[in-house]
Amino acid sequence: MAIKRIAGKIGGRAALLAPLAFIVVFLIAPLAFAFVMSFWKRVGFQVRPGFSLKAYASFIHGPQHVILYHSLWMAAAATLVSLVIAYAAAYLAAFRLRRSATRVILFMFAAPFFINYIIRDFAWTDLLGRNGPVNEALQWVGLIHEPLSWLMYSDFSVMLGLVASYMPFMVFPIWLALVGIDQRLVEAATMLGARPWKAFVMVTLPLSMPGVFAAVIFGFVGSFGADAVATVMGGTGYQLAGNTISSAMNILNYPLAAAISSVVVLSLLVLMGVWYAVFDIRTFLGRLVR
Amino acid sequence: MTSPQSSGPADTRIAREGKSNPIGARLAHAGVWAYLLGVLIVLYLPLIPPIIESLQGSGGAHADWSWSAYSQIGAESVLRSSFATTILIAACVAGLATILGLLAAMAIREFNRPRLVLFLVLLPLFVPGVSLGFSEGMWFQAIGIPASFGAVVAVQTVWALPFSTLIILTVMSGFDPTLLDAAYVCGADRMRALWHVELPLIWPGLFGGGLFALILSVNETLRTSVVQGSLNTVATYIWSTYKSVGLNASIYALMSCIIVFTISMLLLVTVALAIVERRRASPVR
Repeated sequence: MAIKRIAGKIGGRAALLAPLAFIVVFLIAPLAFAFVMSFWKRVGFQVRPGFSLKAYASFIHGPQHVILYHSLWMAAAATLVSLVIAYAAAYLAAFRLRRSATRVILFMFAAPFFINYIIRDFAWTDLLGRNGPVNEALQWVGLIHEPLSWLMYSDFSVMLGLVASYMPFMVFPIWLALVGIDQRLVEAATMLGARPWKAFVMVTLPLSMPGVFAAVIFGFVGSFGADAVATVMGGTGYQLAGNTISSAMNILNYPLAAAISSVVVLSLLVLMGVWYAVFDIRTFLGRLVR
Repeated sequence: MTSPQSSGPADTRIAREGKSNPIGARLAHAGVWAYLLGVLIVLYLPLIPPIIESLQGSGGAHADWSWSAYSQIGAESVLRSSFATTILIAACVAGLATILGLLAAMAIREFNRPRLVLFLVLLPLFVPGVSLGFSEGMWFQAIGIPASFGAVVAVQTVWALPFSTLIILTVMSGFDPTLLDAAYVCGADRMRALWHVELPLIWPGLFGGGLFALILSVNETLRTSVVQGSLNTVATYIWSTYKSVGLNASIYALMSCIIVFTISMLLLVTVALAIVERRRASPVR
């Protein structure tokens, strides 16, 4: 009996390790392998193990460096815009709506995220095209006299695509952090004479930072590695880090694709490391992780 | 655009109710809704054009409305098989992600380092699709896994796991673990306690987690396209057609199918989670 129980216990323990093993084999190992491959040499159309920094050199100093800096800039700007919109939405959902309304609004924010963003990007090209409804509506109202050409296939449209792709999901970590704040702290600040604005800046905002930072990681890394948005909404020749991975892969330049991918993943790991070191995950997932 | 700062005082609901400025309060409330609805309209706008385009056919803006694009889907064998592949893959991903999600949620509850486990399980959520797709494609090639059904299921399950785990974890956090202790005291082993005590109470979470995996699988494109080989799902078919010949009415019809399917599944998830909520409100926990 005892032996059976001990065996059962070990078996149960092993079963609990299955998801972790799965993540290691199908996520960690591939990313590590791509990192190793980014140093390999390219001979003709073949890739040979070795140690070469050529791929990184071309991405950081060489022909592709424009792409790197443009991607970083677009990702940072898109994250900032998304953050302002998402924070306001999360704040209102947390403090200004009835409980039942909060749930509906959060669901409404979540839903578009799950619909293939490639499909949504196609739809934006329709909406923002020269003869699309947005241009027609603006002309009908009389705000403009001829179609705006910068609405589509421009930095503007790519930015819109990035914000529309990642902003909805940034609402959640911020909302989680906000509802976790002990409201007595805000009341105390108000009672001690802080104006509402000051109470927000000194109490609510700092306490919501774990959620804000999680949202920033999600938005920034997502935008930095975005592929379809740049291809569909940027038009021919518009390159961000994400779709440069695809085009490098298409011309079989695997070390370059691996190097760009590794830069994106390393930026993720650095940001996550900061998050893990600075914030306690439990402050906003407290009810889930004891 | 309303910034959070201008959204009003950071006081509590209770404090606000004490204020005596009904018109101002009402205006502020209207402002809140105007902002939220404004953002939501921008988010939902892109769901409309594919449906309109699919019904107008290829005859341009003044063509007659018809369902012909949809009947074309049924006529083309490539499309029919892509539907079958999508459904089969989605079912496998949903099953696998639910089981792994349950195990991950249990590991988070029982292991000594819950933060580390959670961190690992949530990681796929943060890795961009192309990076993951490319790396997995290379890795599979290196270790000799051919581009195949199994490879697609593995790739999509990695992507779905954070979502299913979070849903299951949320529902499990309302489950009182002393019930398991009670089961153990009564002589149940681990499996029996799980099967007869815990699962009956958390099944809507498993259902919700599985549905999320199903939704993500059906919509997933970039990761899949690297390892699919000769297979095609509806989503990757749309993407590869766009890249080779561009969009047409039947492609818009496929997009509309995905949109309608996703929204109906999301509604099902809310029903499942509402069941959990109602149970929690009842005295038996």
